[in-house]
Amino acid sequence: MSVEGNELERTLGFVEAMTLGGGTMIGAGIFILPGIAAETAGPASSISYAIAGFVALLAALSLSELATGMPIAGGSYHYVNRALGGLFGAIVGWGMWTGLMFASAFYMIGFGQYLVEPIPFLDGRVFIVGLGLVGLVLLLGVNYYGTEESSAFQNVTIGVETAIILVFVAVGVFFIDPGNLEPFAPFGPGGVVATTGIVFISFLGFEIIATVAGEIKNPGRIIPLSMILSVVLVTILYVLVMLVSTGVIPFESLGDSPIPVSDVAVTYLGPAGVVAIVFAAIIAAISSSNSSILAASRVIYAMGRDGVVTDWFNVSHPQFYTPHRAIAATGGVTALLILVGLEVETIIALLAEAASFSFLVAYSLVHISLVVFRRADPDGYDPSFTLPRPLYPAVPILGVVLSLVVVSQMATVVVVIGSGIVAFGVVWYATYTRGRVVSEGLLSEAIRGKPAEPFRVVVPVANPATQRGLLRLAAASAHANEDRGTPELVAVNVTPVAHPSPFQNVEADRFEHQRELLKSAHDIAAEMNVTLRTRTVVAPDVGEAILDVLEEEVADEAILGWDGTLGRDGHVFGATVDPVVRNASCDVSLVNLKNETIGTPVALIAPGHNAPVIAHQAVEFATVDGTVPTLLNVQPPRGKSGSDAEERGRSVVVDAAEAAGLDPGEYEVQVVVNDDIGRAIVEATSQYDTVCVGLSGRTEGSRIPFGTVTERVVHDVPSNVALIRGS
Amino acid sequence: MTRIDELRILVPVDVSGTEPPPLDVLDHLGAVEVVLLGYFPVPDQAEPALLRDQYGSKATDRLDAVADEHGDPAEVLVFTHDREATIDRIADEYDCDAVLTAGRSTVVERVLVPLRGDVNLNRILAVVADLLLAGNETATLFHSVPEDTDPTQGELLLMGAVDRLVEYGVGRDRVDWQLSKGGDPQTDIVELGAEYDLVVLGETDPSLRERIIGNVLSAIVDALDVPALIVRDVE
Repeated sequence: MSVEGNELERTLGFVEAMTLGGGTMIGAGIFILPGIAAETAGPASSISYAIAGFVALLAALSLSELATGMPIAGGSYHYVNRALGGLFGAIVGWGMWTGLMFASAFYMIGFGQYLVEPIPFLDGRVFIVGLGLVGLVLLLGVNYYGTEESSAFQNVTIGVETAIILVFVAVGVFFIDPGNLEPFAPFGPGGVVATTGIVFISFLGFEIIATVAGEIKNPGRIIPLSMILSVVLVTILYVLVMLVSTGVIPFESLGDSPIPVSDVAVTYLGPAGVVAIVFAAIIAAISSSNSSILAASRVIYAMGRDGVVTDWFNVSHPQFYTPHRAIAATGGVTALLILVGLEVETIIALLAEAASFSFLVAYSLVHISLVVFRRADPDGYDPSFTLPRPLYPAVPILGVVLSLVVVSQMATVVVVIGSGIVAFGVVWYATYTRGRVVSEGLLSEAIRGKPAEPFRVVVPVANPATQRGLLRLAAASAHANEDRGTPELVAVNVTPVAHPSPFQNVEADRFEHQRELLKSAHDIAAEMNVTLRTRTVVAPDVGEAILDVLEEEVADEAILGWDGTLGRDGHVFGATVDPVVRNASCDVSLVNLKNETIGTPVALIAPGHNAPVIAHQAVEFATVDGTVPTLLNVQPPRGKSGSDAEERGRSVVVDAAEAAGLDPGEYEVQVVVNDDIGRAIVEATSQYDTVCVGLSGRTEGSRIPFGTVTERVVHDVPSNVALIRGS
Repeated sequence: MTRIDELRILVPVDVSGTEPPPLDVLDHLGAVEVVLLGYFPVPDQAEPALLRDQYGSKATDRLDAVADEHGDPAEVLVFTHDREATIDRIADEYDCDAVLTAGRSTVVERVLVPLRGDVNLNRILAVVADLLLAGNETATLFHSVPEDTDPTQGELLLMGAVDRLVEYGVGRDRVDWQLSKGGDPQTDIVELGAEYDLVVLGETDPSLRERIIGNVLSAIVDALDVPALIVRDVE
């Protein structure tokens, strides 16, 4: 029996997504940064957290829409790469990777600080760096060997962490000395904005929800909800922590502390509080660093998949199935960054700011990507969550502006480092990526504002005698629809086998036949100046295989050959054709070619939703020989004067032609008034070279409705007959 | 009380290993419908798509090989971070009544059915009845009562269960029961299970304690080296 593809799993619900996003965010940032933040912004650093949270919220909103539209690994990198092309993809990819390494190094030094500082005789930077390195090596080891999903353990860790912070805030509120909050913003708005750049790193992590979008149940609801809610809740928590910290201890002395939260806690929670805070800080550092390493390996995977970096990183370990090379590379660079801490005293702030820089740049490009996706509206991008007006375009515009404002207030050295990484991305693209991958992005389409989609006509070919005629009709159809897209033909040949397997030998002469067929298809296409692709399929069921191709190619039209026999072996048209006519989701023309010339086509028009499709098809076929088709309607002579019937018929035809978007000059009208409709039709249509008849409407269930008129045309008219079924 | 008409069981198979699991028991279960779930455990560190790209065809081949050996049942292949969740989802999707784990048994002659209480009892018995009616195994119903409690309660439960199976049409000589007093049910089941060819267990909702320190049921299943059929609690 069938194997149902290689499925990936959707296992994450709302609670899981919240703990994943919130848990990744609530981390080392809040335990390490309040000191530095207080130093540069005073009590107003709580405003810095609020602004950073707002910037993160804007990014979360844009990411939500993109993630529900493209639930595929890679997050921001992937969206930017698709929207803006390989150059920006490389910039954001490298930016995110290095940003995550900066963040990871930052967490591990913070980890060292919290371990070392409370122990008086173990002071010193060497110890801090050393402990950070030990922690990192342990983490890398665990990740190299691989861990199984342990959401229970994660939930406990996050729960404990959050509980400790909540106690810290809830008790701390009563110990706030209002005098400490005066002056609120000693360094002015500039200091507040500059601090925003440092503390933005505390919000890294909400994006993880977007990167695992493919594993989230009911993504259209849960992704935006959990992203927005986790960012908002975490922002509130951070603002409160900052208010309590600067309210309990004067910001000047808080600024001197590498372990600010613990220093605050000791004043009102005593030694037990310090132990709790140190414990929380350490597990926070470990879990944040761990998430960064995991996120980095996902970014590298996505970059390797798109060819932006070598796929070498993505070979998974033969035994542990982890992307061990990506993990080792990330760990190696992170270790070097930690070691820099030996020489640079302000390493903590520097790492935090550099990581924030990378992500602010990435998120502003994400906002632009959202606009590009909206404008270009590519195939397959169908987000189940869209930003309502006026959030769109307010969110992306505000997002880009705010990110740039924050970046502009960063320390010069950080701007230099960050720009260096961006420049590296550019150079990388120019020297490595370009030429390797063709990913142009959607930018040009977005500017044009109209998708440059092909108008694709699929033609199954099997018989050398009829394929020329079919391809000519297909080419004419495609050309006639140039306003809907670039004409493109796809010729398919299906080789039926009982059990398809890549190892099975299909008889050699079959292949020879197929090769000949498709080669001559190419020749015909070249003559007719139309793009042709050929596809060969080996499948047990020809009809099903053709349906699959129609689906894959997102075909606009299918033109099938048919020998004109009806009702054979319990099928209407035949075992191959029936399922296509029944199930194809595009327009289908079933053509019985009796003569070489297409000549002047006639279309049988009767009221109904299929009529415009038939009329249009006749016009398309007429272009083969440059003729003007006739749209024919037959009316019974009701009433006394024949002219009424004539009028009725004409209006039926004109209505259909208008619905099909035809100009009056593109067709002739013929109305026949006769009692015996069937005979009149046969007589009238026999005058033409090709007859287009409709299959009545959309088929339901297994039945293909097949009118008696159509049947008579098939049997009695000597011309070419095309049976047309609208989508 | 209705019987389950067509017993459908889910058989999860780890397709990341080269060694196919011992599933001989499948060929001795009589007329049950089997859904074969090939799962490839993906570590947290790796993107499921990464492993799918790299091992997809190998996994398909392995799953096909297992299917070929056991009567070509329906196959599903999943790359997953979370094996348990996958089993639950696929079992739901395919409407499976029970989940079978692999074990060393090559024949199925003796079936052990530990009963915990009224929870899920109807379904367990329905599945056991179906099994017995489809083949010619014998079954032992088992229940464990704590040291100081009155054992009649347990006896009643077991005898009632036997009667229920007989009502379904199982010969009385094919069913017996055993009551254990004062032991640890988990150890008892594992020890006793070694003498049988198949153990039928009932799934229960894990308690909060179980959610944190691990599931008793999976501990039993892991400790057994004979196959276990876990009857799902779908009501």
